[in-house]
Amino acid sequence: MNYILHILIMISVYLILSQSLNILVGYTGLLSVCHAAFYGIGAYTSALLMTKLGLNFFLALPLGVILAMTLSLLVAYPSLRLRGDYFVLAGLGFQIIVFSILYNWEGLTRGPYGIPGIPKPGLLGLEFNNLPLFLLISSIFAIVILFILYRISVSPFGRVLKAIRENEMAALALGKNVSNFKIKAFIIASGIAAIAGSLYAGYVTYIDPTSFTLDESIFIMAIILVGGTGNVKGPIVGTIFMVILPEILRFLGIPDTIAPNVRQMIYGGLLILLMFIRPQGIIGEYKFE
Amino acid sequence: MILQLLANGLVAGCVYSLVALGFGLIYNTTKIFHIAYGVVYIIAAYLFYTFARVLGLPLVMSFFLGLVFVILLGVAIEILIYFPFYQKRASLGVILVASLGAYILLVNLVAMLYGNETKILSLGIEETFCLGSVVFTRIQLLQVVTFLIVFPLVLLFLGRTKLGRVIRALADNPSLVTVLGIDVRRLRIYIFAMGSFLAGLASCLVALDVGIDPYAGMNVFLIAAVAVIIGGVGMFEGAVLGAFILAIGQNLIIWQVSAKWQSTMVFLLLILFLLFRPEGILGKRQRLEEA
Amino acid sequence: MSINLNRGDTIAHNKNLLKEIQCIFKPNNTMIKNYCDIISESSNISPRLELKEITKKFGGIVAVDRASLTFSAGKVTGLIGPNGAGKTTVFNLITGFLKPDAGTIYLRDHPINGLPAWRIAQLGIGRLFQDVRVFNKLTVLENLLLAKKDQLGENPLVSLWQRKKVLKAEKKNIEEARRWLKLVGLEEKENSLAENLSYGQQKLLSIARLLAGGSEILLLDEPTAGINPQIAKSLLAIIKQLSQEGKTVVVIEHNMSVILEISDWVFFMNEGKVISFGLPEEILGDPEIRKTYIGI
Repeated sequence: MNYILHILIMISVYLILSQSLNILVGYTGLLSVCHAAFYGIGAYTSALLMTKLGLNFFLALPLGVILAMTLSLLVAYPSLRLRGDYFVLAGLGFQIIVFSILYNWEGLTRGPYGIPGIPKPGLLGLEFNNLPLFLLISSIFAIVILFILYRISVSPFGRVLKAIRENEMAALALGKNVSNFKIKAFIIASGIAAIAGSLYAGYVTYIDPTSFTLDESIFIMAIILVGGTGNVKGPIVGTIFMVILPEILRFLGIPDTIAPNVRQMIYGGLLILLMFIRPQGIIGEYKFE
Repeated sequence: MILQLLANGLVAGCVYSLVALGFGLIYNTTKIFHIAYGVVYIIAAYLFYTFARVLGLPLVMSFFLGLVFVILLGVAIEILIYFPFYQKRASLGVILVASLGAYILLVNLVAMLYGNETKILSLGIEETFCLGSVVFTRIQLLQVVTFLIVFPLVLLFLGRTKLGRVIRALADNPSLVTVLGIDVRRLRIYIFAMGSFLAGLASCLVALDVGIDPYAGMNVFLIAAVAVIIGGVGMFEGAVLGAFILAIGQNLIIWQVSAKWQSTMVFLLLILFLLFRPEGILGKRQRLEEA
Repeated sequence: MSINLNRGDTIAHNKNLLKEIQCIFKPNNTMIKNYCDIISESSNISPRLELKEITKKFGGIVAVDRASLTFSAGKVTGLIGPNGAGKTTVFNLITGFLKPDAGTIYLRDHPINGLPAWRIAQLGIGRLFQDVRVFNKLTVLENLLLAKKDQLGENPLVSLWQRKKVLKAEKKNIEEARRWLKLVGLEEKENSLAENLSYGQQKLLSIARLLAGGSEILLLDEPTAGINPQIAKSLLAIIKQLSQEGKTVVVIEHNMSVILEISDWVFFMNEGKVISFGLPEEILGDPEIRKTYIGI
């Protein structure tokens, strides 16, 4: 039972991550490979504020979000005017810089030793310290976020994002300040990723930089590419599929030493296959064409 | 001290140049952001290692065999993955993701087969030479000499031979080449063969020096990509310039700050360039719409 | 000095006037420029858009060579010339997708060189692209809804916090969009994805989208290409009407009968230069121009 609860909690965390990345990749057509960096910024900010300053989870979380949003502005502003490849490279660069900071700036983040002893979230005396309670809180977050993102996707703002994806020049010719819209999308996506980070930190109570690598960014990207980009249903399907997949592999009895490699190989193969056969994912509406 | 660092930087620059040249060759002509280049790089070294240390073949023979096979690998990636996408007229985004997928697939295959630790190919304590106050190892000398031989050859090839000129034309004006009826398929195979050769060359030289691990490829790819961009997109010579700048910069960071921050420096440099001079040092200014 | 150049007047009358100014039928940039200046000063014609000595180079090629053009409100100005003459480049320069290497572009006497493309569009310059640029995976209706400028809901915070206001504005937008769809005959296709329309329908969609934007200045790049003659006819009527309502309309066309039918006057370009300016019948009747254009 605990096992199932754990899976559900991870699904809710990854739902938040994949839906927010979808804003960038699926709606706006921006290939962002640094989502895990903002995930990590949220997690570390939360963890540090809670362990070093004793802040409450519900106070640390918004602060993490604000930091992530501010940093995303720093990245977005220069890189969003660039052609596709350059944007990807800038994203890669940012991802690596963030990881480097988390790993090397030991004075701040304790580097590879990570941050232990993160308290579980608590509010007004109630501590979410068992699995069902935590699932409750992570689900509430996930549902609220999904709702907000759905609203955004059907709003005029979401419509402009999709237009940018379809034909950027035509959007400019209609008077839309494309750079501005891209930056806003980036900020929103990053802030939400930070929320997932705080949740994750509060759940696992120990974090280290290896959870926020380029591999993680690619995993989140794979979720939406598999499930489908450009609408709200796709990432739901993708998240469930990709979170459960490793568990299925475990049942197949693949030895633990090579299991992570086999997993990654499957992701890699999936990406190639998907791009070739079904770039819009299982139930997506936007093909990367 | 600073002279030693400069010297180390120059040597590293020679190796980076080979990689950047290979990547730039592929990127400027096919516009493919060949992320899988990173894994082609490491596989060359692993093949070299396998032939030399596992199968016990003579060093030079292992080296050549490794190069040959990695050229085949690079060409295979083009034939099996990139060219079918090209025929489908897939967008560059799709190809990029597929390249990423290929990278992940192959890197993990290597990690699975060989493990995550660094595999060493060197031959014990290295002989050193002194030039004034600067010390070079034998391998470093080999790296410099290789660069000094290969780089002019590549330039000559691009400038003087017919194939080289067609490749240059493809970089400048892709649509023109197809219109002229040149067999793009074969051209691309040559390009990937050359690019993979350069990567493999660099990789084996580095493996002899510090060994190889499965994750070195991504760093190498990033350095190559950044070198091409800061040197000047579209210019093959730019890649070399960018490579040297990065190599020397990295060594300065090691000296002034710490080796830990090398990658950060590479990317901060990239971001600076993207902000202020996106066309690179030698590149020509191009507006988004004109591209 | 006031000049009344009207289509109603006889050709002979106008020709005399033009001869007085001595700048027609002579490939001389300075004189064309002077002529345009004179139009600017004349009382009954108000130019909205002026290009003065615009030059644009691509590497070694001079795509536009010290071109001066004037487009007036309430008139349809044709822009003709062989392929590669620089006409579409002129549109690109006006709309800010390209920056001129020299010269200035004035919108209602304010220079607009160097402004970003979206800003120029906001200032009232609308463009119809030669290759139809509809938003493929959006519905026909959504394509039109995007045309309206300064929508409240385009700010993500506003669309979340002030839902009622945004919904109200959306409703209005939808009503107006439906009217435009009706005008071009696409009302049945409201919920179809734009990519599922035929080329002609996509063209109509992009025209409707342009008109829905309410731009004061309309740059139309080959509006009738690919549309069946009947629809083209009603389209031309719409264009004519728009100019009568005071809009500034510029039309690039290769179809000379279209030019003859709707243009008030015409610029002829070749090899990046403005060669001639005048009434459609005269420009198209001129043997030199016919030779350049048609090659006979």
